[in-house]
Amino acid sequence: QTNLSGTLLDTDGFPLPGATILAKGTSAGTVADLDGNYSLTIPEGISEIVVSYTGYETQTIAIDGRTTIDIVLSEGVSLDEIVVTGYSVKSKRQTTGAVSTVSTAQLAAVPSGNVEQQLQGRAPGVTVITNGQPGTSSIIRIRGFGSFGGNSPLYVVDGVPVDNIEFLNPDDIEATSILKDAASASIYGSRAASGVVVIQTKRGKKTAQPLKVSYNGLVGFTDPGNGPDFLTPQQDADKAWEALRNDGLSPGDDGWGHPQYGDGATPVLPDYIMVGNQAGVSGSIDLEAQRELYNIDARAGDLYQVMAANKEGTDWYDAITRTGILQRHTLGFSGSTESSRYYVGMGAQVQEGILLNNDFKRYSLRINTEFDLGKYVRVGENFQITHRQTNGLLGESGGSGVSDDENSILGAFRMNPIIPVYDEFGGYAGTRALGFNNPRNPVAERDGVADNRGFSNRLFGNVYVEIEPIQDLIFRSSFGGGFIGFHSNFYSRQTYENSENNGSFGYGENQGYFNDWTWTNTAKYKKSFGSNNFDILVGYEAIEAGNGRVSGASGINPFSRDINFINLSTVSANPPFSSYSVPVKFASVFTQLNYNWNDKYYLTATLRRDESSRFGANQRTGTFPAFSAAWRVTAEPFMANQNFFTDLKIRGGYGEMGNSNNVNANNRFSLFAQSLGASSYPIDGSNNAVDIGFFQSRIGSENARWETSVTSNIGFDATILGGKVDVIADLWRKETNDLLVQLPLPAVNGSAAAPVTNIGSMLNQGLDMAITYRDKFSSDFGFEVTLNGALLKNEITKFTDDVDFFDATGSRITGTIVRNEVGRSLSSFFGYKVVGLFQDDAEIANAPTQPDAAPGRFRFEDNNSRNEDGELTGVPDGIIDEADRTFLGSAVPDFTGGLNLKLTYKNFDLETFLYASVGNEIYNNSKWFTDFYGTFKGASVSSRVLDSWTPENTDTDVPIYETASNFSTSQQSTSYYVEDGSYLRMQYLTLGYTLDNSAFNGAFNNLRLAVSATNLFTITGYDGLDPAVGGSADTDFGVDVGNYPTTRGFNFNISLDF
Amino acid sequence: DDFLEVAPRGSLDENVLSSEAGIEGALLGAYSQLGGRGNYFSGASNWANGSIQGGEANKGTNDGDFTEINELVRYQLQSTSRIPSDRWIGIFDGITRANSALKLLSLSDDVQLTEADRARIEGEARFLRGHYYFQLKISYNQAPFLTPELSVEEQQMVVSSEDIWDEIEADFRFGYENLPETLAEAGRANKWAAGAYLGKTLLYQEKWGEARTVLNDVVTNGKTTNGQSYGLLDNYADAFNAEFDNSKESVFAVQAAANSGTTNVANPDMVLNFPHNNGPGNCCGFFQPSFDLANSFRTSDGLPLLDNSYNSEENRLVTDFGVAANDAFTPDDGPVDPRLDHSVGRRGIPYLGFGPHPGVAYVRDQPYGGPYTPKKFVYYADQEGSLSDGTSWTKGYGSMNYNIIRFADVLLMLAEAEIESDNLDAGRDLINQVRERAALSSSMIMNDDGTPAANYEIANYDSFADKAEALSALYMERKLELSGEGHRFFDLVRWGVAKSELDRIIANEQMFLPIAYSGASFTTPQDLYYPIPQGQIDLQGSDVLPQNPGY
Repeated sequence: QTNLSGTLLDTDGFPLPGATILAKGTSAGTVADLDGNYSLTIPEGISEIVVSYTGYETQTIAIDGRTTIDIVLSEGVSLDEIVVTGYSVKSKRQTTGAVSTVSTAQLAAVPSGNVEQQLQGRAPGVTVITNGQPGTSSIIRIRGFGSFGGNSPLYVVDGVPVDNIEFLNPDDIEATSILKDAASASIYGSRAASGVVVIQTKRGKKTAQPLKVSYNGLVGFTDPGNGPDFLTPQQDADKAWEALRNDGLSPGDDGWGHPQYGDGATPVLPDYIMVGNQAGVSGSIDLEAQRELYNIDARAGDLYQVMAANKEGTDWYDAITRTGILQRHTLGFSGSTESSRYYVGMGAQVQEGILLNNDFKRYSLRINTEFDLGKYVRVGENFQITHRQTNGLLGESGGSGVSDDENSILGAFRMNPIIPVYDEFGGYAGTRALGFNNPRNPVAERDGVADNRGFSNRLFGNVYVEIEPIQDLIFRSSFGGGFIGFHSNFYSRQTYENSENNGSFGYGENQGYFNDWTWTNTAKYKKSFGSNNFDILVGYEAIEAGNGRVSGASGINPFSRDINFINLSTVSANPPFSSYSVPVKFASVFTQLNYNWNDKYYLTATLRRDESSRFGANQRTGTFPAFSAAWRVTAEPFMANQNFFTDLKIRGGYGEMGNSNNVNANNRFSLFAQSLGASSYPIDGSNNAVDIGFFQSRIGSENARWETSVTSNIGFDATILGGKVDVIADLWRKETNDLLVQLPLPAVNGSAAAPVTNIGSMLNQGLDMAITYRDKFSSDFGFEVTLNGALLKNEITKFTDDVDFFDATGSRITGTIVRNEVGRSLSSFFGYKVVGLFQDDAEIANAPTQPDAAPGRFRFEDNNSRNEDGELTGVPDGIIDEADRTFLGSAVPDFTGGLNLKLTYKNFDLETFLYASVGNEIYNNSKWFTDFYGTFKGASVSSRVLDSWTPENTDTDVPIYETASNFSTSQQSTSYYVEDGSYLRMQYLTLGYTLDNSAFNGAFNNLRLAVSATNLFTITGYDGLDPAVGGSADTDFGVDVGNYPTTRGFNFNISLDF
Repeated sequence: DDFLEVAPRGSLDENVLSSEAGIEGALLGAYSQLGGRGNYFSGASNWANGSIQGGEANKGTNDGDFTEINELVRYQLQSTSRIPSDRWIGIFDGITRANSALKLLSLSDDVQLTEADRARIEGEARFLRGHYYFQLKISYNQAPFLTPELSVEEQQMVVSSEDIWDEIEADFRFGYENLPETLAEAGRANKWAAGAYLGKTLLYQEKWGEARTVLNDVVTNGKTTNGQSYGLLDNYADAFNAEFDNSKESVFAVQAAANSGTTNVANPDMVLNFPHNNGPGNCCGFFQPSFDLANSFRTSDGLPLLDNSYNSEENRLVTDFGVAANDAFTPDDGPVDPRLDHSVGRRGIPYLGFGPHPGVAYVRDQPYGGPYTPKKFVYYADQEGSLSDGTSWTKGYGSMNYNIIRFADVLLMLAEAEIESDNLDAGRDLINQVRERAALSSSMIMNDDGTPAANYEIANYDSFADKAEALSALYMERKLELSGEGHRFFDLVRWGVAKSELDRIIANEQMFLPIAYSGASFTTPQDLYYPIPQGQIDLQGSDVLPQNPGY
């Protein structure tokens, strides 16, 4: 027997904690510790060691009688395997829970504004619901949807919890781990029930390194692509005449004709759609004389415009979009001495959206340092300041609500193409010309936000001290948090070009701040007795989050509309608004024990006790245990003689996690509020001033307590075929009990906000899997392919004791379009099922009785009825009524996955990533606006109607073209609006070339040039602009009213070190 | 543990509010729900629930816009329809607020509160609760009657009942007997507002004698909260002009204010009801008066055509239906009641200072909605920006009070009670009192050259042959005087003529507007009342909220 020790580093000098060192042909082995140190007893007669580390080339090294061997492992193909878990850094080898890692290169590859978006498809079981808008927020869900709201994952950046990571520069990130099950996440207890994304930013290395400067730059552009097809002006006029006939009219009748297309037997496109007060003018006019009358300022008297007809048709989508330019630059400085380490990152990202005046900017500075104070004490800090702007952002909730918003994109779908963008004298054209209904000129709308500005400045970071009084005992205290201050101002035009105009010029400002802090104290001790290895962690944490204030004001009609003149003092301002945000506080103690025997058997136990200010004193405390174990099968003697598994570890875990996110800080209290909007009244008879009264704003409940999710997980990590293939698979189940639900109070209780109490339950089950296969065809031609996928089944198992469902409504469609019901997944689409179009009166006579039935209109399925007590019977009754509404699909995909393929040949690398979402439906609400003549008569109509039903054209799904809008046409929620939302998208394709370090006389290291295309193609059957349809709420996403598409982009990237 | 006790901010609990000022604030909150605060169907104006359903107007705009209202035009409501649900929710919000004020009052031991204060606050809160329940009763025929002391759970258990007239009557009677006659703030309910509403409640129950007594007291002795004896303004139009808010004609009104910082007090329930396309308000072309209503103003010897022959081809008004904006048009020159041109916007007639009504240019979709535009609740050109509010998405928000009860309405209610009590002459005098004001020259719309804009002809009734004729005249007078003010449908239902009258109107409108009235038909009993919203039944159970017949 000999003792062998040494350090294990990568080619950059990073330690490789968790790398395995095995005496060849035996089960005797060990793993490198955090600093890369290892020591191993070599059995008699063994002359070689095998050193392996996932993602790195496995080496066999002859011992040659040495007792110290320092080893440098080179990367096979990049696969970052550091797992930053709860309060510690572990190797993947040792983890017993369900953890995915995402490499920094993968994060940085997709140039979106938010790191969250870049997680899409990167880790199995992580659902990212987002849109193409730069700087948008997104819905991120880990392992399904645990609750009806508030189930965003917790982000932990350098040990500090935070609720979003939009401020981070992806280039500053060193490692990202996603903790998916209770066993791995529950150490973060109080806010971890929806999983944890742990991010560690870059830092200097433990060993002394000279200053290294790295630069990473990216420039590119995003192409908006093409909008959907609409009727041309001539087609629109022809179809209008078809509609008149279908309405039962004939030429000469009172209602026959159109303000623009005349009243003849055939429609005539005019030369001018508006000349002063006249519509539908044909022939030439004296433009110079008209110019004298021209007026687009309502303050100067009556409006007078001349708008030519654009007989070719205006492409409104093209008019509101542009090629968006993108730049991102990051300069990183890192280095270390014997007693200090540092990383400084400076980043700038400036990104134009494809929509006019939709811009994202982020400037960030990060400074991470650590100093050794003598032998026993380390102090350090991580600090970031970010200036962030999102201008012209569409959609509520930071942009994530864009898909179900009636925004400028929908506006572009609704403007009749015969309307030009501008009138004859440079003003905007629009629906002020008669006959085109009420869409607003979307170009004017986008131009109108050009001067709006909004920014936030965010400070984020922590300071910490670590004391190591004896070997392997570390006390750590960290105080961290964030401060965000923001300001925005906005202008609103006094419009003139629309049929319905804004009556005044408006201006407003909003500002506010929020701050959070977290104080964490831990003690860690590590000890080994022979083959028994322990480490134990105990800690205490106090958190205050969401403390802030917001205020603002707005007003109208400044003396001058020069934006350099306008402020709140120069407009006639309304009373300002001001509000507090009540903070939430947590106090928690926790402990974690890790044990492993000879790196063969692993056991982890975690216990956490949380108290939250959201709950009353009696319900405040929640205690959440979790256990997990793993068995390294390949370490067993009986596996010694097989070659198939290089490594095989079977894992299992069970645990509970607590959640309180969906609970308002005031949930306990019954409150009255004073509100201008909700309780003011001019009681003294004034015509311009109000008194503000009180109203009950909230009904309190002391009974709410922690929601608990119970997760169980079984999985394995295997490396097979001599390290060429890694397989990670997890079968999991997450049951959320005592689900915090806002009570659905009937109207008799008034409008005060109902408290949330613990009523419902939800079940999520799934399978997460990732397979990586890497090999080399020759010494300079290698490849790596990673396939990851997740199956998900989400089911609401209980809502309240008395009620089984709750609804969401759509835009302009009558009633419920989304029903969240027990036994179904969240956000299930609801309405009448179209079984075809009525072909003739005989069919109507024989069909179930349906309101407004007529040939060419939708025929709905008769599938249910109500009995005398109003309960559903499940039996058809020959009458189509509300009882026949049924489930039409779900926004939750059954499968999401990604395929990453990377080829390296000599200095070239080629990488592509494909993302697929399968089995989800989309509610294409925009069809209500674009597919029916009657819904907004005169607005633009989709060219789908060219196939509309006529007595001659009966083999079609598109109903008759007519003015009526009723139960049997567009008014109800029907399956006509529901489409398959599955898609496959090539999210990027990159070709890179790394120059030899000797190039340019060695002036640079690691100089890599790359070109890439993002979103090169999308395969989908979805008819809307883009199948990536998000939403701002878990309970009604996947509804597309005016979704902001993800479109194709091309980028050039350069990275190098000095 | 102190660390984890986080107090709420920016709001108050019950204990703090149980002071005099707090209770006054809660009472103000109950007033503030009168206009519906953006809920189009719970505001007191009842433009959709009362006037559209009553055949005075159609939805307007086009078929695809706000399709939920099509169900009112065509009497196609279902238990899951939006409008009954919105109305139920909005009105119960008002009830909860009124009960909140009452509960705080009962909890309060604030020494600042005198007995007189307590009586007044209770009177106002119960008046408001009476108003909200009155609205529920006439729309749904039933409701659970909630009292202030009930807990959240107990409120959910109260069984809905058709027998709530007694409670409504008691609330108004308390106000009638306890409220002061005058108060410093004009918007408050006083003794006489409560008396008028009590009279209306009695009238709806056909308690003619009691109604007569109370309404007679109101007509004889009543005065406004700001101290003016009730009377009719000289100019009919001034009853619909923000400059005459809280006049002697205003018995109880929803107070409105423009440019106050919120459009929720600027007639938000009526904001859609303006001409389309750059007319006043700039939005949205809803609430277009019906052919039937406009034709009703035809007179013969100054009197309306009580046999409904006003819709006949020879009597009906000449309109610009189907006449393009650029084509010439001459307005009707036959005799009409002058109130026509205050109630109905029609081509060629001066429109509130915006010049002559341009016809189809103000109409979103004439073949769908017809030639007429709303007029009564539209502001004047010279009031734009001062008495209208341009701070929101449309400039149609206004500061004109909507009179829930107008003195002309009180006169006609008393007339009805008199006629039903067989006092035909007393009834006739009261009707003539209303007609005489309409006949004043100040009530005529004039062209710029000082000539009347149309052939206005109006006279008094000399006598009624019998009670039937008297009632017929009364029913017509309420239509002419109160059109568009949200009363008609509820009048037709209580008179028992809803089906015959609405079938007649549907048939007339269908001739011109086949799409708007496509499938329209009035079915009894269900169309007499709204369905109880299915969503509420789902929450409370059909044993607590039984559905109305026919749904």
